[in-house]
Amino acid sequence: MKSLIQKLTETFSPSGYENAIREVIRREVEPLADELRVDALGNLIARKGPSTGSGPAKGKKRLMLAAHMDEIGLIATHIDENGFVRFTGIGGIRPQALTGGRVRFVNGAAGVIGIERLSDPSKAPTLEQCFIDVGATSPKDCPVKVGDVCGFDRPFLDLGRRLVAKAMDDRIGCAVLIETLRALESTPHEVYFVFTTQEEVGLRGAHTAAFGVEPEIGLSVDVTGTGDTPKGSRMAVSLGKGPAIKVKDSGMLSDPRLVAWMCAGAEKARLPYQREVLEGGTTDAMAMQVSRAGVPAGCLSIPSRYIHSPSEMVDYEDVQNAVKLLTALVSKPIEW
Amino acid sequence: MPELIPFLKDLLSAPGLSIHEGPVAELIRTRWAPLVDEISLSRLGSLHARRKGSAAEPRPSILIATHMDAIGLMVTRIEDGFLHLAQVGGVDARVLPGQLVTVHGRQDLPGVVIQPSPRLLPPGFEENPVPLEHLLVDTGLLPRRVNELVRVGDLVSFAQPPLELAGETIAGHTLDNRASVAALTVCLETLQNRPHAWDVWAVATVAEEVGLIGAYTSTFQLRPTLVIVLDVTFAKGPGANEWNTFPLGKGPTLVMGANMHPALHKALKDLADKLEIPYAVEYAPTHSGTDASATQVTAEGIPSAVIGIPLRYMHTPVEVVAVKDIRRAGRLLAEFIAGLTPDFMDKITWDD
Repeated sequence: MKSLIQKLTETFSPSGYENAIREVIRREVEPLADELRVDALGNLIARKGPSTGSGPAKGKKRLMLAAHMDEIGLIATHIDENGFVRFTGIGGIRPQALTGGRVRFVNGAAGVIGIERLSDPSKAPTLEQCFIDVGATSPKDCPVKVGDVCGFDRPFLDLGRRLVAKAMDDRIGCAVLIETLRALESTPHEVYFVFTTQEEVGLRGAHTAAFGVEPEIGLSVDVTGTGDTPKGSRMAVSLGKGPAIKVKDSGMLSDPRLVAWMCAGAEKARLPYQREVLEGGTTDAMAMQVSRAGVPAGCLSIPSRYIHSPSEMVDYEDVQNAVKLLTALVSKPIEW
Repeated sequence: MPELIPFLKDLLSAPGLSIHEGPVAELIRTRWAPLVDEISLSRLGSLHARRKGSAAEPRPSILIATHMDAIGLMVTRIEDGFLHLAQVGGVDARVLPGQLVTVHGRQDLPGVVIQPSPRLLPPGFEENPVPLEHLLVDTGLLPRRVNELVRVGDLVSFAQPPLELAGETIAGHTLDNRASVAALTVCLETLQNRPHAWDVWAVATVAEEVGLIGAYTSTFQLRPTLVIVLDVTFAKGPGANEWNTFPLGKGPTLVMGANMHPALHKALKDLADKLEIPYAVEYAPTHSGTDASATQVTAEGIPSAVIGIPLRYMHTPVEVVAVKDIRRAGRLLAEFIAGLTPDFMDKITWDD
């Protein structure tokens, strides 16, 4: 699974530019799915299990499992007379995580991020004080045009049990979905594995995918924060203590029936899990919950340090346990 | 017909934080069931109750939305047996210290919200309100027992019982928006003796406080012709400004603004004038902060109006409402429904 995670995280696909990652994922899921389609917003939707049409039988549900395949990135807003590229963020960019970083444009161009001289060096720069140096000397020889999009350029790092990469948010969720689809021998349910677009800019892919799939249960698989780093946020989630079952984040309260179903499933399968209350951030589950006449929604989270930096860290056992839990959950009838 | 105030007190005392409305939904269902033709729960737990109208099919329908969810707290961490908290919906943390709460753990536990002495907090809290991140719940139990009974993500609701004040006013938590549920109950009772042409969907919505979730989804499911949202609004009180607060006990507000259909608003106003029901006009220029901002844009768009019940000390455990305003809002609503003619929609066009 590590090589899959490497392949997924090293692909450049910021929000709205998911073509590259969609092709990588498509090659993985095509042989595994009973049906594959791409909707108008670019969501990749893979079905496994019987297509029940309307009104599935008792214990059988139509489920939507969603992991977003886009990543945060930067977009060029201006090329100055010396060929320096000014930019703004796509998704939640933290300026303090940019300085000295390298970026890779969707068109292949590369560059490094520099900052203006700060009048107060003790303060983090603003995005307006940052620029990308692509090695150009003028707009003429600059390989980047206004509107070109890039992602962080940082190779995958295998620390053994801990894995580090850019875009772990949420390619790790994509990896969990792919491996679950691979591990799922049979299911009574109609399960849609949805690789969504544009999550980082407002859960936009999940909105339309949920409308199209009309699930009876919506579950996102995404990263969550931890409280286990020096003087970090105070949160009762740690790396390595199992995948997290979300009760609440700042955008959504999980459906209590889903929380109970997932906790019971983990206990039955003897898998470690953590209950999660995240005070900043949300996931595709928020969009699924209000879709059409409403969808009981929840989220299986992969604890992750340094989210939205170029070096997001997860625990490999948490990832593997997430696959085991998800596989166990969707293999069996759901009786509520 | 059962008395209003005891029912309102039952409503205030029933648990039902956002997305966890089961207990209060059951209480409302019991009270509404004899007043309506059919009643059921939506997939997310909103209560849908229908009274059939007398007009020929396909009959127009009006949906009355009252959110039934309560704001409260949630356990984020447990340290040495003390519970750290996050808010569910917007809680005014300044008034939390000293509050009685119920911790909904593996069993319900009484608790109190405490604030550490300023000497035990970082500098700067000697005089200022202590923010939520420093407040704790003490259940009185030893740490080991707390860890057995309470988990991260467990809910904490306010436990202060409602208090009847003089002059038919009532103080308590969750009057936002159970006061409106009581008003809709008055409406349904009044309609027992009033024929009406339109179908009426009385809906108690879930999760308004965390994103208008019930309003979006129930409106999508039921596709009413019109929506009226009943919610609380800011009553005049100490320090209140002149321009967007409304006197307690002097009638509901009829809200006008971007979420509201102007002709529907005018129809309500004309009716209140005719019936001599006192009211104030409230202006909500942008987001009304109510379910109407969801119902208005659901599906193809549904004309919506908002009726407000003035309330003091919003989002504190001692909200205050005048019972008279609840009755008036319920009566106005019932009269409006009874007066809806099958061709009413032709009268609220945009080109008059």
